[in-house]
Amino acid sequence: MDKKEILIKINEIFKNILDNEALTIYENTIASDVEDWDSLNHIQIIVAIEKTFKIRFTTNEIHHFKNVGELLVAIESKLA
Amino acid sequence: MLFNSIEFLFFFPIVTVLFFILPHRFRWQLLLGASCFFYMFFKPEYILILAATIVVDYFAGILIDEAPTEKLKKKYLLISLVANIGVLAVFKYFNFINNNVTGLAYVFGFHNPIPALNMLLPIGLSFHTFQAMSYTLEISRGNYKAEKHFGIYALYVMFYPQLVAGPIERPQNIIYQFYEEKKFYYDCVMSGLRLMLWGFLKKIVIADNLTTYTDGVFNNLHTQTSIAIVISIFFFAFQIFCDFSAYTDIARGAARVMGYELIKNFNYPFRSRSVTEFWRRWHMSLTSWFNDYLFTPLVIKNRRSISFGIIFALMITFSLSGLWHGAAWTYVSFGVMHGFATSYEFITKKWRSRLSKKINPFIYNHISQLLTFLFACFTWIFFRANTMDDAFYIVSRIPGIFNEINHWSITRSKPIFDESMSNLGHIYCFMFIIVLEGIHYLDNHYQIFHLVLKQNKFIRWTVYYSMMLIIIFFASATSHRFIYFQF
Repeated sequence: MDKKEILIKINEIFKNILDNEALTIYENTIASDVEDWDSLNHIQIIVAIEKTFKIRFTTNEIHHFKNVGELLVAIESKLA
Repeated sequence: MLFNSIEFLFFFPIVTVLFFILPHRFRWQLLLGASCFFYMFFKPEYILILAATIVVDYFAGILIDEAPTEKLKKKYLLISLVANIGVLAVFKYFNFINNNVTGLAYVFGFHNPIPALNMLLPIGLSFHTFQAMSYTLEISRGNYKAEKHFGIYALYVMFYPQLVAGPIERPQNIIYQFYEEKKFYYDCVMSGLRLMLWGFLKKIVIADNLTTYTDGVFNNLHTQTSIAIVISIFFFAFQIFCDFSAYTDIARGAARVMGYELIKNFNYPFRSRSVTEFWRRWHMSLTSWFNDYLFTPLVIKNRRSISFGIIFALMITFSLSGLWHGAAWTYVSFGVMHGFATSYEFITKKWRSRLSKKINPFIYNHISQLLTFLFACFTWIFFRANTMDDAFYIVSRIPGIFNEINHWSITRSKPIFDESMSNLGHIYCFMFIIVLEGIHYLDNHYQIFHLVLKQNKFIRWTVYYSMMLIIIFFASATSHRFIYFQF
């Protein structure tokens, strides 16, 4: 699965968790760019990603994701 | 030393003038010395507790930073956390736990032989221990490098404007500022003084006058009418907001005069449309502390069952947040109620979102705002009540207001309001709240604080002098301590 496909899948997860059908995220999207992307929703997004891709992030990784791009890199490396 | 004391009237200008006179290399020593003096005004010997935790956290920070393994990092972090929580446990929570053990032992026919500790709570203990813990926690997460300069680290914990009642700072935000060579900027000094003036007005005029009324009611509940009790519940909401936000304004203003910027602690909390939003706007530095170091790690740990994990973390976080305020069941109840409310909001989030789309946004938002405010007022009954019995008594008296209004002729034949304040005093209290909310409304919609800055010198100074005159004419006859000092 390449980055583009991963981005499409996690975009769906963001839409579902944040209850926003019109939402489009990009690699450089950060939490403050998206309404309602707070710490509570952040963890729900992480959990949904873990379930969808059958991967597991470390606590340290969850604390340090700065933007969607970093999240993509981490997913890609775990799927490889 | 209290911000609203005569001593501070001399302390602040002397420290500020010396700060700008001294060369940069001596300023940290001046601020540290001044902060020690400020703290020792309460109970001098308690500075030893502060000094002990500073030494422990300073070395723990370096050891965590240099530890070669994660296991070792965790070990040094644990030493720091145990030292800070241990101080809190002994000085703040020992008697509370011991009293409950005594009560429980009595129920089962036993006797608790451990006597209560007879000592005063060190001022601002919950604030500076939390700030100290955020330092070692940030280092252990790799977000901050340990500070090698002992004096600068000590100043991070002891910086006098925020030492005893916050905002609870993070090392990333403040330590680098102590290394910057601060210059005298007229605009910066004026901005700080303006913030302090607004803080003093809120504290001395609004909060202290409201305190005279609410203290009279909450301390003599059984002689009050239901009308007086209900009014005091609403008054307390504005009192606690003005009292605590005033402290933050004075602290941020005093720091800004010297060129230091402290984090924001309030963002119009009464405009919140949910309890969750309320906590993003009220005591923001404490909320973010609990969020980063307790709530989020708890959710991450229990994320296999995410809904359960979040509700569990909300209940634990808010219960402990209540306990953070004070060692009493009244504070715990306050926290637990907020835990239930935020859990309810989490569970019903999607349902409420759909509902909001079906109702006129103006109506939906204002009803949400009103319900959130009423809920906050209700929980503050427990926060302010002297005992749990008092809190339940207050709640039981609320419905009586309808009876008193229905039988108005009987009600008005007796004194309706608490007699500790004159009728004029009551009118002033209502007036202050209306004016405060009017200013908040205007600032929200038309940014009046910024508009004042854009006016010419004459108008600006007319506003400043008017504020000073308001403080002089309407200052409460009794000066009250800041509520959050006791925490």
